[in-house]
Amino acid sequence: MIQFQAINETLTRRGAATLSWLRGWGSLIWFAYSALVHALSPATYNSATRSVIQKQIYFTAWQILPGYTLFAALLSFVIIQIVVSTARDFGLSDFALETVIRVLVLEILPLVTALFVALRSSAAINTEVALMNVHNEIKALEDLGVDAMQLEFIPRVIGGTLSVLALSTVSGLMALILAYVVVYGAHPWNFPAYTLVVSKIFDLGILLGLGFKVVLFGMAVTVIPISEGLRAPSKLFFVPIAVLRGMVRLFFVLMLIEVASLALKYI
Amino acid sequence: MAALPDSNRSPTLEEGLRFLGTDRVELKWVEDLAGGRSMIDSAPDSAVLVTEALPLRANLSVLENMAIVPQYRHDTPYEAAADQAWQLLSRLEVTAMAFKRDPDLTSEERFQAKFLRAIMAAPPIIVIDRPGQLLPDTHYPPFLGRCLATLENHFEQCWIVDYLWNEPLYAPR
Repeated sequence: MIQFQAINETLTRRGAATLSWLRGWGSLIWFAYSALVHALSPATYNSATRSVIQKQIYFTAWQILPGYTLFAALLSFVIIQIVVSTARDFGLSDFALETVIRVLVLEILPLVTALFVALRSSAAINTEVALMNVHNEIKALEDLGVDAMQLEFIPRVIGGTLSVLALSTVSGLMALILAYVVVYGAHPWNFPAYTLVVSKIFDLGILLGLGFKVVLFGMAVTVIPISEGLRAPSKLFFVPIAVLRGMVRLFFVLMLIEVASLALKYI
Repeated sequence: MAALPDSNRSPTLEEGLRFLGTDRVELKWVEDLAGGRSMIDSAPDSAVLVTEALPLRANLSVLENMAIVPQYRHDTPYEAAADQAWQLLSRLEVTAMAFKRDPDLTSEERFQAKFLRAIMAAPPIIVIDRPGQLLPDTHYPPFLGRCLATLENHFEQCWIVDYLWNEPLYAPR
Protein backbone atom coordinates (compact mmCIF):
# COMPACT_ATOMS: atom_id res chain seq x y z
CA MET A 1 0.00 0.00 0.00
CA ILE A 2 2.81 2.37 0.96
CA GLN A 3 4.66 1.40 -2.23
CA PHE A 4 1.61 2.25 -4.36
CA GLN A 5 1.31 5.60 -2.60
CA ALA A 6 4.98 6.37 -3.29
CA ILE A 7 4.58 5.41 -6.97
CA ASN A 8 1.43 7.52 -7.18
CA GLU A 9 3.20 10.54 -5.67
CA THR A 10 6.20 10.15 -7.98
CA LEU A 11 3.96 9.86 -11.05
CA THR A 12 1.91 12.88 -9.96
CA ARG A 13 5.07 14.93 -9.46
CA ARG A 14 6.50 13.86 -12.82
CA GLY A 15 3.17 14.50 -14.53
CA ALA A 16 2.92 17.99 -13.05
CA ALA A 17 6.51 18.76 -14.08
CA THR A 18 5.85 17.49 -17.63
CA LEU A 19 2.64 19.52 -17.89
CA SER A 20 4.45 22.65 -16.66
CA TRP A 21 7.23 22.03 -19.22
CA LEU A 22 4.67 21.61 -22.00
CA ARG A 23 2.77 24.70 -20.87
CA GLY A 24 6.07 26.61 -21.04
CA TRP A 25 6.60 25.59 -24.67
CA GLY A 26 2.92 26.24 -25.43
CA SER A 27 3.03 29.79 -24.06
CA LEU A 28 6.35 30.37 -25.83
CA ILE A 29 4.93 29.31 -29.21
CA TRP A 30 1.78 31.37 -28.60
CA PHE A 31 3.85 34.43 -27.68
CA ALA A 32 6.09 34.00 -30.75
CA TYR A 33 2.99 33.78 -32.99
CA SER A 34 1.43 36.80 -31.31
CA ALA A 35 4.70 38.77 -31.62
CA LEU A 36 4.90 37.96 -35.32
CA VAL A 37 1.29 39.03 -35.94
CA HIS A 38 1.78 42.28 -33.98
CA ALA A 39 5.11 42.99 -35.72
CA LEU A 40 3.43 42.72 -39.13
CA SER A 41 0.52 44.96 -38.13
CA PRO A 42 0.93 48.69 -38.95
CA ALA A 43 -1.22 49.50 -35.88
CA THR A 44 1.68 48.42 -33.65
CA TYR A 45 3.85 51.31 -34.76
CA ASN A 46 3.22 54.56 -32.90
CA SER A 47 5.45 57.19 -31.35
CA ALA A 48 5.88 55.19 -28.11
CA THR A 49 6.64 51.81 -29.72
CA ARG A 50 9.05 53.38 -32.22
CA SER A 51 10.89 54.95 -29.31
CA VAL A 52 11.20 51.57 -27.52
CA ILE A 53 12.45 49.92 -30.76
CA GLN A 54 15.10 52.65 -31.14
CA LYS A 55 16.24 52.20 -27.54
CA GLN A 56 16.38 48.40 -27.96
CA ILE A 57 18.51 48.69 -31.11
CA TYR A 58 20.74 51.26 -29.38
CA PHE A 59 21.37 49.05 -26.33
CA THR A 60 21.53 45.72 -28.17
CA ALA A 61 23.47 46.64 -31.30
CA TRP A 62 24.81 50.18 -31.47
CA GLN A 63 26.33 50.33 -27.98
CA ILE A 64 28.30 47.09 -28.48
CA LEU A 65 29.11 47.53 -32.18
CA PRO A 66 32.81 48.62 -31.85
CA GLY A 67 33.69 46.01 -29.23
CA TYR A 68 31.79 43.22 -30.93
CA THR A 69 33.23 44.04 -34.37
CA LEU A 70 36.74 43.91 -32.89
CA PHE A 71 36.01 40.58 -31.20
CA ALA A 72 34.44 39.15 -34.39
CA ALA A 73 37.49 40.30 -36.40
CA LEU A 74 39.88 38.63 -33.95
CA LEU A 75 37.89 35.38 -33.86
CA SER A 76 37.56 35.38 -37.66
CA PHE A 77 41.27 36.06 -38.14
CA VAL A 78 42.29 33.16 -35.86
CA ILE A 79 39.86 30.70 -37.50
CA ILE A 80 40.83 31.80 -41.01
CA GLN A 81 44.53 31.32 -40.17
CA ILE A 82 43.87 27.83 -38.72
CA VAL A 83 41.77 26.70 -41.71
CA VAL A 84 44.12 28.17 -44.33
CA SER A 85 47.31 26.71 -42.78
CA THR A 86 45.67 23.29 -42.20
CA ALA A 87 44.38 23.23 -45.78
CA ARG A 88 47.88 24.13 -47.01
CA ASP A 89 49.40 21.28 -44.96
CA PHE A 90 47.03 18.78 -46.52
CA GLY A 91 47.43 20.20 -50.02
CA LEU A 92 43.85 21.49 -50.11
CA SER A 93 44.59 25.20 -50.47
CA ASP A 94 42.09 25.51 -53.34
CA PHE A 95 39.25 24.75 -50.93
CA ALA A 96 40.49 26.93 -48.06
CA LEU A 97 38.58 30.11 -48.98
CA GLU A 98 35.28 28.29 -49.56
CA THR A 99 35.64 26.34 -46.31
CA VAL A 100 36.44 29.48 -44.34
CA ILE A 101 33.45 31.38 -45.70
CA ARG A 102 31.06 28.47 -45.18
CA VAL A 103 32.24 27.81 -41.62
CA LEU A 104 32.55 31.42 -40.49
CA VAL A 105 29.95 33.47 -42.32
CA LEU A 106 27.22 30.85 -42.61
CA GLU A 107 27.60 29.07 -39.27
CA ILE A 108 29.91 30.34 -36.53
CA LEU A 109 29.41 34.12 -36.67
CA PRO A 110 25.57 34.15 -36.67
CA LEU A 111 25.57 31.67 -33.78
CA VAL A 112 28.23 33.59 -31.81
CA THR A 113 26.29 36.83 -32.41
CA ALA A 114 23.09 35.27 -31.10
CA LEU A 115 24.91 33.86 -28.05
CA PHE A 116 26.58 37.24 -27.39
CA VAL A 117 23.25 39.09 -27.57
CA ALA A 118 21.67 36.36 -25.44
CA LEU A 119 24.26 36.78 -22.69
CA ARG A 120 24.18 40.57 -22.81
CA SER A 121 20.57 41.53 -23.57
CA SER A 122 18.35 38.46 -23.16
CA ALA A 123 19.28 37.99 -19.51
CA ALA A 124 18.50 41.68 -18.91
CA ILE A 125 15.19 41.47 -20.79
CA ASN A 126 14.19 38.31 -18.89
CA THR A 127 14.92 39.97 -15.53
CA GLU A 128 13.19 43.21 -16.47
CA VAL A 129 10.00 41.50 -17.66
CA ALA A 130 9.89 39.24 -14.59
CA LEU A 131 10.31 42.30 -12.33
CA MET A 132 7.65 44.22 -14.29
CA ASN A 133 5.34 41.29 -13.67
CA VAL A 134 6.18 41.10 -9.96
CA HIS A 135 5.83 44.87 -9.40
CA ASN A 136 2.49 45.11 -11.24
CA GLU A 137 3.91 47.52 -13.83
CA ILE A 138 2.11 45.69 -16.65
CA LYS A 139 -1.25 46.17 -14.90
CA ALA A 140 -0.38 49.83 -14.22
CA LEU A 141 0.15 50.41 -17.94
CA GLU A 142 -3.08 48.60 -18.82
CA ASP A 143 -4.97 50.79 -16.33
CA LEU A 144 -3.81 53.81 -18.37
CA GLY A 145 -5.05 52.23 -21.60
CA VAL A 146 -1.56 51.21 -22.69
CA ASP A 147 -1.17 47.63 -23.97
CA ALA A 148 2.07 46.35 -22.42
CA MET A 149 2.37 43.70 -25.14
CA GLN A 150 2.37 46.37 -27.83
CA LEU A 151 4.43 48.96 -25.93
CA GLU A 152 6.99 46.91 -24.04
CA PHE A 153 7.32 43.44 -25.55
CA ILE A 154 6.79 43.61 -29.31
CA PRO A 155 9.25 46.52 -29.77
CA ARG A 156 11.87 44.48 -27.89
CA VAL A 157 11.30 41.53 -30.25
CA ILE A 158 11.55 43.79 -33.31
CA GLY A 159 14.58 45.72 -31.96
CA GLY A 160 16.33 42.54 -30.83
CA THR A 161 15.77 40.76 -34.15
CA LEU A 162 17.03 43.76 -36.15
CA SER A 163 20.06 43.99 -33.83
CA VAL A 164 21.05 40.33 -34.33
CA LEU A 165 20.54 40.77 -38.07
CA ALA A 166 22.72 43.91 -38.12
CA LEU A 167 25.51 42.49 -35.93
CA SER A 168 25.59 39.24 -37.96
CA THR A 169 25.82 41.24 -41.18
CA VAL A 170 28.65 43.44 -39.89
CA SER A 171 30.64 40.49 -38.50
CA GLY A 172 30.02 38.47 -41.69
CA LEU A 173 31.27 41.32 -43.89
CA MET A 174 34.30 41.72 -41.63
CA ALA A 175 35.05 37.98 -42.00
CA LEU A 176 34.71 38.19 -45.80
CA ILE A 177 37.23 41.06 -45.93
CA LEU A 178 39.67 39.28 -43.59
CA ALA A 179 39.35 36.01 -45.55
CA TYR A 180 40.39 37.85 -48.73
CA VAL A 181 43.34 39.55 -47.02
CA VAL A 182 44.62 36.33 -45.39
CA VAL A 183 44.20 34.12 -48.47
CA TYR A 184 45.24 36.54 -51.23
CA GLY A 185 47.11 39.31 -49.41
CA ALA A 186 46.30 43.04 -49.14
CA HIS A 187 46.14 43.78 -52.88
CA PRO A 188 43.20 43.85 -55.30
CA TRP A 189 44.57 41.62 -58.11
CA ASN A 190 42.74 38.45 -57.06
CA PHE A 191 39.42 40.14 -56.48
CA PRO A 192 37.70 38.55 -59.57
CA ALA A 193 38.70 35.04 -58.40
CA TYR A 194 37.48 35.88 -54.92
CA THR A 195 34.10 37.14 -56.11
CA LEU A 196 33.70 33.96 -58.15
CA VAL A 197 34.07 31.82 -55.01
CA VAL A 198 31.76 34.10 -52.99
CA SER A 199 29.06 34.09 -55.66
CA LYS A 200 29.30 30.28 -55.88
CA ILE A 201 28.64 29.98 -52.13
CA PHE A 202 25.97 32.64 -51.73
CA ASP A 203 23.31 31.47 -54.16
CA LEU A 204 19.73 32.60 -53.57
CA GLY A 205 18.78 29.53 -51.51
CA ILE A 206 21.77 29.90 -49.16
CA LEU A 207 21.18 33.66 -48.75
CA LEU A 208 17.50 33.17 -47.95
CA GLY A 209 18.35 30.32 -45.56
CA LEU A 210 20.98 32.45 -43.80
CA GLY A 211 18.55 35.37 -43.48
CA PHE A 212 15.82 33.10 -42.14
CA LYS A 213 18.18 31.50 -39.62
CA VAL A 214 19.41 34.88 -38.34
CA VAL A 215 15.82 36.16 -38.02
CA LEU A 216 14.97 33.01 -36.02
CA PHE A 217 18.03 33.62 -33.81
CA GLY A 218 16.94 37.23 -33.31
CA MET A 219 13.40 36.24 -32.42
CA ALA A 220 14.62 33.52 -30.05
CA VAL A 221 16.89 35.87 -28.06
CA THR A 222 13.94 38.16 -27.32
CA VAL A 223 10.80 36.00 -27.44
CA ILE A 224 12.09 33.33 -25.01
CA PRO A 225 13.23 35.71 -22.23
CA ILE A 226 10.02 37.76 -22.47
CA SER A 227 7.83 34.65 -22.44
CA GLU A 228 9.69 33.19 -19.44
CA GLY A 229 9.57 36.54 -17.63
CA LEU A 230 5.81 36.73 -18.12
CA ARG A 231 5.32 33.15 -16.96
CA ALA A 232 7.10 33.73 -13.65
CA PRO A 233 4.79 33.82 -10.62
CA SER A 234 4.44 37.28 -9.06
CA LYS A 235 6.92 36.61 -6.27
CA LEU A 236 10.31 38.29 -6.10
CA PHE A 237 12.20 35.08 -5.28
CA PHE A 238 10.99 33.51 -8.56
CA VAL A 239 12.85 36.11 -10.66
CA PRO A 240 16.26 34.32 -10.64
CA ILE A 241 14.49 31.03 -11.42
CA ALA A 242 12.67 32.65 -14.35
CA VAL A 243 15.98 34.00 -15.70
CA LEU A 244 17.68 30.63 -15.29
CA ARG A 245 14.84 28.82 -17.08
CA GLY A 246 14.79 31.41 -19.84
CA MET A 247 18.51 31.21 -20.47
CA VAL A 248 18.57 27.39 -20.54
CA ARG A 249 15.58 27.26 -22.89
CA LEU A 250 17.19 29.91 -25.08
CA PHE A 251 20.46 27.97 -25.29
CA PHE A 252 18.65 24.82 -26.42
CA VAL A 253 16.54 26.68 -28.97
CA LEU A 254 19.60 28.41 -30.47
CA MET A 255 21.39 25.05 -30.74
CA LEU A 256 18.30 23.43 -32.22
CA ILE A 257 18.05 26.14 -34.91
CA GLU A 258 21.75 25.73 -35.72
CA VAL A 259 21.56 21.92 -35.91
CA ALA A 260 18.42 22.10 -38.07
CA SER A 261 20.15 24.58 -40.38
CA LEU A 262 23.23 22.34 -40.70
CA ALA A 263 21.08 19.27 -41.34
CA LEU A 264 19.09 21.05 -44.04
CA LYS A 265 22.23 22.28 -45.78
CA TYR A 266 24.57 19.33 -45.55
CA ILE A 267 22.58 16.12 -44.96
CA MET B 1 -16.36 75.02 -6.15
CA ALA B 2 -15.45 78.05 -8.18
CA ALA B 3 -12.04 78.34 -9.77
CA LEU B 4 -9.34 80.08 -7.79
CA PRO B 5 -9.47 83.90 -8.10
CA ASP B 6 -6.13 83.87 -9.87
CA SER B 7 -5.66 80.59 -11.71
CA ASN B 8 -1.92 81.20 -12.10
CA ARG B 9 -1.15 81.34 -8.40
CA SER B 10 -0.84 78.24 -6.20
CA PRO B 11 -3.73 77.66 -3.79
CA THR B 12 -3.11 77.93 -0.08
CA LEU B 13 -3.46 74.85 2.14
CA GLU B 14 -6.86 76.09 3.35
CA GLU B 15 -8.09 76.66 -0.20
CA GLY B 16 -6.87 73.18 -1.08
CA LEU B 17 -8.62 71.59 1.86
CA ARG B 18 -11.87 73.36 0.96
CA PHE B 19 -11.56 71.85 -2.54
CA LEU B 20 -11.96 68.32 -1.12
CA GLY B 21 -15.50 67.00 -0.75
CA THR B 22 -16.88 69.17 -3.56
CA ASP B 23 -18.65 67.82 -6.65
CA ARG B 24 -15.28 67.80 -8.46
CA VAL B 25 -13.43 65.92 -5.70
CA GLU B 26 -15.70 63.40 -4.00
CA LEU B 27 -14.65 61.76 -0.76
CA LYS B 28 -15.75 58.12 -0.66
CA TRP B 29 -15.57 56.65 2.83
CA VAL B 30 -15.13 52.91 3.23
CA GLU B 31 -15.03 50.78 6.36
CA ASP B 32 -12.57 48.12 5.26
CA LEU B 33 -10.46 46.82 2.39
CA ALA B 34 -13.37 44.90 0.84
CA GLY B 35 -15.45 48.09 0.89
CA GLY B 36 -12.59 49.94 -0.79
CA ARG B 37 -12.35 47.32 -3.51
CA SER B 38 -16.08 47.36 -4.22
CA MET B 39 -16.01 51.19 -4.29
CA ILE B 40 -13.17 51.11 -6.85
CA ASP B 41 -15.03 48.44 -8.85
CA SER B 42 -18.06 50.73 -8.94
CA ALA B 43 -16.06 53.37 -10.85
CA PRO B 44 -16.43 53.28 -14.64
CA ASP B 45 -13.94 51.10 -16.54
CA SER B 46 -12.46 54.23 -18.10
CA ALA B 47 -11.49 55.60 -14.66
CA VAL B 48 -7.78 55.68 -13.90
CA LEU B 49 -6.50 54.51 -10.55
CA VAL B 50 -3.81 56.24 -8.49
CA THR B 51 -2.76 53.59 -6.01
CA GLU B 52 0.22 52.11 -4.25
CA ALA B 53 -0.39 48.86 -6.17
CA LEU B 54 0.12 50.41 -9.64
CA PRO B 55 3.67 51.77 -9.82
CA LEU B 56 5.47 53.96 -12.31
CA ARG B 57 7.56 52.22 -15.00
CA ALA B 58 10.83 51.73 -13.14
CA ASN B 59 13.16 52.24 -16.10
CA LEU B 60 11.55 55.51 -17.20
CA SER B 61 11.89 58.98 -15.70
CA VAL B 62 8.81 60.80 -14.40
CA LEU B 63 8.66 62.87 -17.59
CA GLU B 64 8.84 59.73 -19.78
CA ASN B 65 6.25 57.95 -17.63
CA MET B 66 3.87 60.82 -18.30
CA ALA B 67 4.78 61.31 -21.98
CA ILE B 68 4.34 57.63 -22.84
CA VAL B 69 0.55 57.93 -22.43
CA PRO B 70 -0.17 60.41 -25.28
CA GLN B 71 2.70 58.90 -27.27
CA TYR B 72 1.00 55.51 -27.19
CA ARG B 73 -2.66 56.50 -27.21
CA HIS B 74 -2.58 59.38 -29.70
CA ASP B 75 0.72 58.76 -31.52
CA THR B 76 1.89 62.15 -30.24
CA PRO B 77 5.58 62.76 -31.08
CA TYR B 78 7.85 62.54 -28.01
CA GLU B 79 8.72 66.25 -28.03
CA ALA B 80 5.05 67.31 -27.96
CA ALA B 81 4.14 64.69 -25.33
CA ALA B 82 7.11 65.69 -23.15
CA ASP B 83 6.14 69.36 -23.53
CA GLN B 84 2.60 68.53 -22.38
CA ALA B 85 4.03 66.64 -19.38
CA TRP B 86 6.45 69.46 -18.58
CA GLN B 87 3.60 72.00 -18.46
CA LEU B 88 1.80 69.88 -15.85
CA LEU B 89 4.99 69.48 -13.82
CA SER B 90 5.51 73.26 -14.01
CA ARG B 91 1.92 73.92 -12.92
CA LEU B 92 2.56 71.80 -9.82
CA GLU B 93 6.03 73.38 -9.42
CA VAL B 94 7.73 69.97 -9.38
CA THR B 95 9.93 70.15 -12.49
CA ALA B 96 12.88 69.13 -10.30
CA MET B 97 11.58 65.55 -10.32
CA ALA B 98 11.10 65.38 -14.11
CA PHE B 99 14.20 63.31 -14.76
CA LYS B 100 14.14 61.22 -11.60
CA ARG B 101 13.15 57.55 -11.65
CA ASP B 102 10.82 55.85 -9.20
CA PRO B 103 13.36 54.73 -6.57
CA ASP B 104 14.75 58.27 -6.30
CA LEU B 105 11.37 59.87 -5.57
CA THR B 106 9.97 60.79 -2.17
CA SER B 107 6.49 59.44 -1.44
CA GLU B 108 5.03 62.91 -2.12
CA GLU B 109 6.83 63.14 -5.46
CA ARG B 110 5.77 59.59 -6.33
CA PHE B 111 2.13 60.45 -5.63
CA GLN B 112 2.37 63.61 -7.73
CA ALA B 113 4.00 61.64 -10.58
CA LYS B 114 1.25 59.02 -10.51
CA PHE B 115 -1.48 61.65 -10.36
CA LEU B 116 0.02 63.62 -13.26
CA ARG B 117 0.38 60.40 -15.27
CA ALA B 118 -3.31 59.73 -14.63
CA ILE B 119 -4.15 63.27 -15.84
CA MET B 120 -2.23 62.59 -19.07
CA ALA B 121 -4.69 59.76 -19.79
CA ALA B 122 -7.58 62.29 -19.51
CA PRO B 123 -10.06 59.86 -17.91
CA PRO B 124 -13.56 60.95 -16.81
CA ILE B 125 -12.67 60.00 -13.22
CA ILE B 126 -9.35 59.68 -11.41
CA VAL B 127 -9.63 57.44 -8.35
CA ILE B 128 -7.10 58.01 -5.57
CA ASP B 129 -7.08 54.77 -3.63
CA ARG B 130 -6.30 55.03 0.11
CA PRO B 131 -4.03 58.12 0.02
CA GLY B 132 -2.63 57.20 3.43
CA GLN B 133 -0.77 54.33 1.74
CA LEU B 134 0.62 56.62 -0.93
CA LEU B 135 1.62 59.38 1.50
CA PRO B 136 2.58 57.63 4.73
CA ASP B 137 4.65 60.49 6.18
CA THR B 138 2.43 63.39 5.18
CA HIS B 139 -0.66 65.01 6.68
CA TYR B 140 -2.20 64.19 3.37
CA PRO B 141 -5.63 65.90 3.16
CA PRO B 142 -4.20 69.45 2.80
CA PHE B 143 -1.45 68.13 0.51
CA LEU B 144 -4.02 66.36 -1.69
CA GLY B 145 -6.31 69.36 -1.68
CA ARG B 146 -3.54 71.71 -2.72
CA CYS B 147 -2.38 69.39 -5.54
CA LEU B 148 -5.92 68.91 -6.82
CA ALA B 149 -6.81 72.60 -6.58
CA THR B 150 -3.61 73.54 -8.46
CA LEU B 151 -4.53 71.11 -11.25
CA GLU B 152 -8.29 71.72 -11.17
CA ASN B 153 -8.43 72.67 -14.86
CA HIS B 154 -6.70 69.49 -15.92
CA PHE B 155 -9.08 66.76 -14.74
CA GLU B 156 -12.81 66.12 -14.92
CA GLN B 157 -13.59 64.48 -11.60
CA CYS B 158 -11.66 62.83 -8.81
CA TRP B 159 -12.69 60.33 -6.15
CA ILE B 160 -10.69 59.92 -2.99
CA VAL B 161 -11.37 56.51 -1.49
CA ASP B 162 -10.30 56.52 2.17
CA TYR B 163 -11.10 54.70 5.38
CA LEU B 164 -13.85 56.12 7.53
CA TRP B 165 -11.54 56.33 10.53
CA ASN B 166 -9.37 58.85 8.63
CA GLU B 167 -12.28 61.29 8.25
CA PRO B 168 -11.10 63.54 11.13
CA LEU B 169 -7.85 64.14 9.25
CA TYR B 170 -9.81 66.06 6.60
CA ALA B 171 -11.17 68.60 9.06
CA PRO B 172 -9.58 72.07 8.90
CA ARG B 173 -6.98 72.57 11.66
